[in-house]
Amino acid sequence: VRYSPTLVDHFLNPRNAGMMRSPDAVGAGEYTACGDLARVFLRVRDARVAEARFQAYGCGPTIAAASAVSELILLRPVDDLQHLKPEEVERALDGLPEDRKHAAEVVADAVRAAAADWLNRRV
Amino acid sequence: MTRRVYLDHNASTPVHPEVVAEMTPYFMEVYGNPSSVHGFGRDARAGVDLARERIANFLKVAPDQLVFTSGGTESDNFGVKGLALARGRGHIITSRVEHHAVLRSVQALETQGFTATYLPVDEHGRVDPDDVRKAIRPDTIAISIMHANSEVGTIQPVTEIGQIARSHGVPFHVDGVQTFGKVPIDVEAMGIDLLSFSSHKIYGPKGIAGLFIRKGTKMVSIQHGGEHERRRRAGTENVPGIIGLGKAVEVRARDMHEEAARVSALRDRLWSGISARVPEVKLNGHPTERLPGTANICYRHVESESIVLGLDLKGIATSAGSACTSGNVEPSHVLVAMSVPLDWAMGAVRSSLGRTTTAEDIDYVVDAVEPLVRKLRQAMPVGVA
Repeated sequence: VRYSPTLVDHFLNPRNAGMMRSPDAVGAGEYTACGDLARVFLRVRDARVAEARFQAYGCGPTIAAASAVSELILLRPVDDLQHLKPEEVERALDGLPEDRKHAAEVVADAVRAAAADWLNRRV
Repeated sequence: MTRRVYLDHNASTPVHPEVVAEMTPYFMEVYGNPSSVHGFGRDARAGVDLARERIANFLKVAPDQLVFTSGGTESDNFGVKGLALARGRGHIITSRVEHHAVLRSVQALETQGFTATYLPVDEHGRVDPDDVRKAIRPDTIAISIMHANSEVGTIQPVTEIGQIARSHGVPFHVDGVQTFGKVPIDVEAMGIDLLSFSSHKIYGPKGIAGLFIRKGTKMVSIQHGGEHERRRRAGTENVPGIIGLGKAVEVRARDMHEEAARVSALRDRLWSGISARVPEVKLNGHPTERLPGTANICYRHVESESIVLGLDLKGIATSAGSACTSGNVEPSHVLVAMSVPLDWAMGAVRSSLGRTTTAEDIDYVVDAVEPLVRKLRQAMPVGVA
C-alpha cells in the first residue's frame, strides 16, 4: 500500500465519523474535479472545538484526512481554524502521494468553512 | 500473514505452470530468429509454427489467417485501422462500451476524415442488433463490436450482428480479448472477419496476442518494417511469448468448459453472499449473457476506490470502476452508457475470478466487504448525487 500507516489506520478506523445533532457550526469542502466531499460539524465551548465530527465521500485518503482532522482540531481555538492549511492536515496523515493531495485540501476547506460559519453565527 | 485473494483476472492472470514449462527452453536454448535460415532460426520457426497451429485448431481456422501482435491493444488497433485505412474513407460502426483500444482507434480515424457511429447499449450493456442494421450506410466500411465487456462481463449478440454485417458485405471486427479461451468462439457461425485475442487474460504471458484475419479481407499493415507474419505485421516474432500463447490456448481448450462452470458458481456465491449482507447493492451486466467469472457490483453512495483500498488492505485485489488518478474522476464509460445512475456508478467494483479462485476465497471476500462498506457508509453523507 502506498499510504502511510497513519493514513491507513484512520481509513480503517475512522474517528468521529457521522453527523452531529445541533452543531454549533458546519462547513463543507468539495473537490469538484474528483467528486470528493467533506463536511465537518463542530461543537464549540469557550471559543474552542469541544467536539468535531465529519462526513466524507471520496477515495480512502479523503476519508482518512477527515478522520485525522477531527482529532487534529480538538481543543483548538475556532478563530485559528479559519487559517488551517492543507499541509497541516497532510502532516497529520504522515504524508500524501502527489495525486492525493486534494484529500487534505478538501478537508481543510471544510474546516475553514466550519470556522467561518461559527464566527458568522456569533455575529 | 494476511490472506491474499486475487480477483482481478480480467486485468491479467498468473501464467499457468504448464505454459512456463513450455516457454522456458525458448529463452536460452531455442533463441534463434525465426526468420533466419540456419538451424537456430529453423528451430525457433518450428516452435512458432506449432503454436500457430494450436491456436488455429482451437479457433478452427487456417494457421495463415493468424497474425501475432504485442497485445490486445495492438490487435484492436490493427483490426480497426487496418480495415479502415485499406479503404481510405468511409463510415465505421462501433459501440459506446468498447475497450479504449477500439474507441480511441475509431476516434483517431475520425480525425483523418472517417466518420463513426457509436451505438448505445441497453441497461444490461447489450447492443441491439437492430441498431446495427439501422446504422449501416452505403459508405459503411467496418463494424467493430466486442464479444464481452471487460468491466461488466456482458456478452454481445455477436452472431446476430455478424449475420447483419455479412448480409450487407461489411467486414466485422470483434474484440474477443475477454472471451477468447473463456467461452466458445465460432468465427464461422458468428460471421467474424477479424478477431482480436490476447494471451495474458488466459494464463499466458504478457506482451503477446493475435488477430485472426479471414482470408480475402482487405487490410493494410499499421506497423512497417521486415516481411514478418506474411508481410502483415513487421517485427521479429516474440518467440517465447508465442510459444506461451500457443500452450495457454491448448490448456484452455482442455480446461475451459469445466472451469467456466466452476467459476460461474463461485461468482454467484460472491454475489449472493454480498447481496444478502450488504444493503443497496446492484449487480451490473446481463443476468445470463455474461462472462463466467465477472461480477461488477455497485455499492450505492460509496466511492469505489475506497472499497478497493479497503479490500487491498485485507489482501484482496479488485478493480474500481472509477479512479481519480489524474485528479479527475468520472464513472466508467461503460456504466454511463448503461444509464447506471451516478450515485450507483461511482461505487462500482469489479471482481473477476479465475482458475485458482476457491470458495474459501469468496467467503473471505464476502466477510471483508460487509464491515468495510458499513464503515464507509457511516462516514459518508447519504444521498450524494
